[in-house]
Amino acid sequence: MGSTATAYLTGFGRYLPGDPVDNDGIVARLGGDDPVTERIRRRVLDANGIRQRHYALDEHGEPTELNEQLAVKALQAALDDRGIEASDLRMLACATTMGDVLVPGFASMVHGRLGGGPMQTLTASGVCASSLAALDAAVSKIRLGDHPRAAVVGSELSSRSLRQRRFDGIRAGMDSHFLRWMLSDGAGAVVVEFQPHPTKPSLRVDWVRQVSLAHEHDVCMRAGMRGAEPVVGHTWQDVSIADAEAAGMFVLRQDVSVLDELAEAGFGQFEELVDIGLVDVAHLDHVICHYSTNAFRDLAFDALRRRIPTLDTDRWYSNLETRGNTGSASIFIALDEAWRTGRFAPGETVLLAVPESGRFSFAFAHLTVVAPSDQQGAAA
Amino acid sequence: MTDTLTATATLAERLADVWAQLDERLAQVPVLRRLADGTVTLDDYRRLLFNLRQQVVDGTPWISRAASNFDIEHFDLRTAAIRHAEEEHRDYLMLERDYVAIGGSLAELRAGRKNVGSEALSGYMFHYADRPNPVGLLGAMFIIEGLGAKRAAGWAERFQEVLGLADTQVHFMRYHQEADSGHTGDLEAILNSGIIDDAAADEIVRCAQVVARLYALQLEELDN
Repeated sequence: MGSTATAYLTGFGRYLPGDPVDNDGIVARLGGDDPVTERIRRRVLDANGIRQRHYALDEHGEPTELNEQLAVKALQAALDDRGIEASDLRMLACATTMGDVLVPGFASMVHGRLGGGPMQTLTASGVCASSLAALDAAVSKIRLGDHPRAAVVGSELSSRSLRQRRFDGIRAGMDSHFLRWMLSDGAGAVVVEFQPHPTKPSLRVDWVRQVSLAHEHDVCMRAGMRGAEPVVGHTWQDVSIADAEAAGMFVLRQDVSVLDELAEAGFGQFEELVDIGLVDVAHLDHVICHYSTNAFRDLAFDALRRRIPTLDTDRWYSNLETRGNTGSASIFIALDEAWRTGRFAPGETVLLAVPESGRFSFAFAHLTVVAPSDQQGAAA
Repeated sequence: MTDTLTATATLAERLADVWAQLDERLAQVPVLRRLADGTVTLDDYRRLLFNLRQQVVDGTPWISRAASNFDIEHFDLRTAAIRHAEEEHRDYLMLERDYVAIGGSLAELRAGRKNVGSEALSGYMFHYADRPNPVGLLGAMFIIEGLGAKRAAGWAERFQEVLGLADTQVHFMRYHQEADSGHTGDLEAILNSGIIDDAAADEIVRCAQVVARLYALQLEELDN
């Protein structure tokens, strides 16, 4: 007794707003054309390797869409890919760093816009790894048999807060410029079901793991507090909005000095997955790792290759250079694009890896490609 | 008349015979063959639940009707029927939850109609329950509870095996193994209690034969 169902990813979708913006087109959207900012921007862009990205901003820097609209478009793409309607869903798990409004929760807003019928909603708050936290929740409910179908979306519209007007008159060092030229907008979604797609290959979810190391690390990526430590009476909710703004509390910052430590901690978590047998290094065919910059790609790839000598660059998928870093949306946008390349064959395994700098969280998911039921022979 | 022990032994043998015939027929039912072969689909399971539900909701009403037709001479049977009805009258909700848990629409399920086999089965049961002292219905119970106790859990397990279902998606079938085992125990006690005379035994066997045939028909005529 105690049998659970199996969860499969059966539909994939993404939405990237507007035309791709190349490095020269950023200034028109975000502003910051003074020589100092220009120099920092070039330096950050050289290091992160991002060549183009998308913004839900027009050429004058005015918003063109809401974050919830990005989410709904990615969800709609995933539903279309699966050939079902929003009314077929029983759960919606949404990840985002910041919704459009303070209240209510992002998932409520996305559900309201998406439509469909009554369903369970979950807003997974956090930064990048909230994507897999949302996936984990949906997968668990599918496995329990509580819901037949769920959708998961990661969606970000960070560009609004990266515009120059947020930085005017504020002391913003590398900790904020780093992210300013790093983050962009987009949404990625998957459909989760207890049965594989009837006629197309699916991705079976073998497991999802998320772990926080906040107990031994200080805050790294943050907004809404003074300095690097939260102090009673000194969060953005305790002071006037004008004071909070003047103090630069609405600028997203990252303590770049600890990023190497973050990478090391991430490899440690990966090593543990190998040690306890969740990742079989002899049979890991594809890796989709979310990282903010190409510098980390090389570190991550080297670390993995130490354990998986057979892992070559063909088995490694990233679209950072063309899609940018879209936070919690990144892993689903990358998965959607990798899936569409046709590089995954039945029986092969895929590892999703998402480090989150917020306060050191890591999430992984292990997937196996399965053939549709009408083509299943030896593959069990 | 011989002693009751011999008489009930004979009745038990005659019922075992009816069960054996039902078993053979069930082996030919297409959806159960696919289940045994491992080629059964989620759609098969959904259809099976859909078709069963339309008749399951009638179960308690006919048992209750039978209860109301047992006179004071058959007080034990009246008691047993009332208790049985009370225990089972929410069972269809379990089936409905399973149906929804595999992605079915509750509104569509509730708007469904009986298939021709279910129509025949329900019609027969209500008709029979209307008789004064419908003792023959013990034969119907033998078949229906027997299917629950001896077959439903096996079907559930096989559906889970082939389709990878969670326990919460096969509640209805799994539950019946336990509950109906209890009911068949009660039934055996009644059959062995000495209140069944030869005429009643004939009625019970006949009713079992009809219900076995109609139940199988219900499974053969999915959606018709």
